[in-house]
Amino acid sequence: MSVGWRADIEMIAALVRRAANELLRVPGAAIPGVLAPTIFFLGLTSVFGHLTLLPGFDSSSYQSFLIPISLMQGAGFTGAATGVNLARDIEQGWFDRLLVSPAPRSVLLAGLVISASLRSLIPAAVLLVVGFALGVSWPGVGGLVMAVVIVMGMGTLAALWGCALALKFRSQSAAPLMQAGMFVLILTTTAYAPLALLTGWLHTVAKYNPATQIVESARQGFVGGVSWGDTWPGLLALAALMAVLAAFALRGMRRTAY
Amino acid sequence: MSLAADLRVIWALGGRAVKQTMRRPQLFAPIIVFPTLLLAIQTGGAGRGVDLPGFPQVNGFLDFILAGAMIQSTLLAANSGGIALAVDIEMGFTDRLLAAPISRYAMVLGRLAGTAVLGAFSAIWFIVIGLIFGAQIDEGVPGAMVMIIFVTLSAVAFGGIGAAVALRTGKASVVQGLFPLVFVILFLSSAFFPANLMLEPAATVAQYNPISFIVEGVRDPVISSLSLNAFAKAIGSIALVGAISVGLSAFALRQRLRMGG
Amino acid sequence: MERTFSGDVRAVAGVDLEVAEGEIYAFLGPNGAGKTTTVRILTTLLRPTGGSARVAGFDVVAEAGKVRQTIGVALQEAALDPLMTGRELIRLQATLHGLPRDEGRRRSAALLERVDLVEAADRQVGTYSGGMRRRLDLASALVHEPPVLFLDEPTTGLDPVSRKTIWAEVEQLNADGTTVFLTTQYLEEADQLADRVGIIDFGKLVSEDTPRALKAQIGHPHLEIRLTDGGAERAEEVVARFGKPLPMRDGAVLVELERGAGAVAPVVRALDEAGLGVEALDLVEPSLDDVFVAKTGHHLEPEEQQEAKSVDDSESE
Repeated sequence: MSVGWRADIEMIAALVRRAANELLRVPGAAIPGVLAPTIFFLGLTSVFGHLTLLPGFDSSSYQSFLIPISLMQGAGFTGAATGVNLARDIEQGWFDRLLVSPAPRSVLLAGLVISASLRSLIPAAVLLVVGFALGVSWPGVGGLVMAVVIVMGMGTLAALWGCALALKFRSQSAAPLMQAGMFVLILTTTAYAPLALLTGWLHTVAKYNPATQIVESARQGFVGGVSWGDTWPGLLALAALMAVLAAFALRGMRRTAY
Repeated sequence: MSLAADLRVIWALGGRAVKQTMRRPQLFAPIIVFPTLLLAIQTGGAGRGVDLPGFPQVNGFLDFILAGAMIQSTLLAANSGGIALAVDIEMGFTDRLLAAPISRYAMVLGRLAGTAVLGAFSAIWFIVIGLIFGAQIDEGVPGAMVMIIFVTLSAVAFGGIGAAVALRTGKASVVQGLFPLVFVILFLSSAFFPANLMLEPAATVAQYNPISFIVEGVRDPVISSLSLNAFAKAIGSIALVGAISVGLSAFALRQRLRMGG
Repeated sequence: MERTFSGDVRAVAGVDLEVAEGEIYAFLGPNGAGKTTTVRILTTLLRPTGGSARVAGFDVVAEAGKVRQTIGVALQEAALDPLMTGRELIRLQATLHGLPRDEGRRRSAALLERVDLVEAADRQVGTYSGGMRRRLDLASALVHEPPVLFLDEPTTGLDPVSRKTIWAEVEQLNADGTTVFLTTQYLEEADQLADRVGIIDFGKLVSEDTPRALKAQIGHPHLEIRLTDGGAERAEEVVARFGKPLPMRDGAVLVELERGAGAVAPVVRALDEAGLGVEALDLVEPSLDDVFVAKTGHHLEPEEQQEAKSVDDSESE
């Protein structure tokens, strides 16, 4: 029985459909993933909104400055939740069902990751509606496309991270680590303020954190115009992080069932 | 029975609550690790906020935000204490306590004692972290003592809210659902930034939020000399929140006993 | 295309076994004996730490992909997603095995009919009873018509009626040519279904043969004696004169009688003379449990396991 790429795609689609059940069949399942980044968006803009008055702050609206961070956080939360779900599936034995099938291991991983990347569009949509209502500037079609690309990319990245940890620890108790990893990655960047205004250790970390490039590329449409020069470093950083974490997750998968 | 016996039970239950938290990373991480991470990130990210006109005179942003981290930590400890109590109710552990010849209130007081210890721990943890990373407590050792006492007392006051919800509903998932509320309350207070520099409408809410008064009472010994005004507002707020929350807990406990026997 | 599989798995403490094509092989042992570990190795879920195993001619490590195409697996926990419907679950399984969509639809409909889940097919699995879940699990393991089927404790925890339904299904599958490897802690199940039985205890295969041959090895019926009031130890001394004493079970004294029924009367008289009142007396034909006791020194049923003794046995080899 030769298994071609068409069969692979069908398998991935079937796994994505299965993952979607949680949202479609459990009332309120989408709420936590939407609520947390929305509260952080509303809270942080209210609390730190006047930072824009500092000399050197290149945006006049903190909402516009912060919205890409919240979009990424929403994707991070959602993606990491995929890792928690995988840990649950491993604990309960469901994942064995997938592992004893002849489906390629990369297809099983792709099913998880793609569903996370699609699911991360839900908090993004809510955040954008809330943001625009509160005066976030229109990023232009290019900026919006860029934001969507980064959101899906972050959802993928977070899911890879969560799945790698789930395969390593095989337990839902690794959940805080899954969430904290993404939280730290996204916030140790130019999340709160432009690089020149960051102080101490965060200034240094943000300068070298590849996620800073991702933040900046997602932000460009909201605080100015989209340019290729601000776009490619972000896409490159995203692709590099994805490659590393995908290798990490696939290795975990092969170790679990070779 | 005797007061001594009750105290022993409260002591034992409090010890159990503390051990429960310290042994489980899922419980410990949100209470200590998460506020510490956020403290580090906000200090680096919003640290230049001290240059804004209207920001109180401080040695550094870390000095300002330290109290916010402590209160965040105790609010989260209160939430997780409530979850633990609800789990005890769900699993029938509290029935065993209720069947014992001790005061009915011991099971709640034991849980609150545990939360108080976690509060004291968090105060000490953040004082140490602050001192390591360059914060200065203007009022010195007595100031630090005042901070620890305030944070410990507010842990009890906040813990009462968690306990009241746990006793009223008996469901861990409901108490867990309060988790986002912790952040709503904090963002609507002066925990992370001076209220006068926040955006409306949060700025106005923060000026009257009792959490603001509590945070400012804990902050006062760090950034200035202890003022009677801040001290009184903090004590008053803790007493107010505490009276309401402990009262609600007692009421919820009595109702639970009447219903379930 | 070979359909036999032979194994030499040394992950637990050393298990050597071979199963012929078209056979039902039952792996019999108490909880924690190593049954599930063996199944996990044979189904490519766990890498053996030593030795090798081949399933349907394919090496479980080097040719894991081919093994997975060949086998159907129903695992002990019967992990089913409670949010999926039965039909969705079987169709997902079909997709994972690379079946074309129409084929998948056709086969899942047929399988649902076969395990009598047509009415429940579009309900979420969370609403199913234990027996329905096992039947669905079994059906989903069959979607690619595997020549080799692994069933890990297929009826543990099921009521007798559901158990019989599963047995009938397994027998039917075997009649259609499927090789079945099943694990069980129920003697009755092994006796009823298996062509051959392997007895596993503390990670070792202690015996292996057809149920009939295993029972014949024991050869003799035993007498089960319940006393009216105590004195079990003295009774054991008395009956030892008539045959080989066996370990007690549920408070009953057991003795093997070489002469069968003819020796019952003398035993009763002897007990009477010793002043011991007999409440009940049963002459029991040899069962797989007797085989189990003979091979391992303790009973299969969990109540009376003399664990320490057997650990020493298996480690001394």
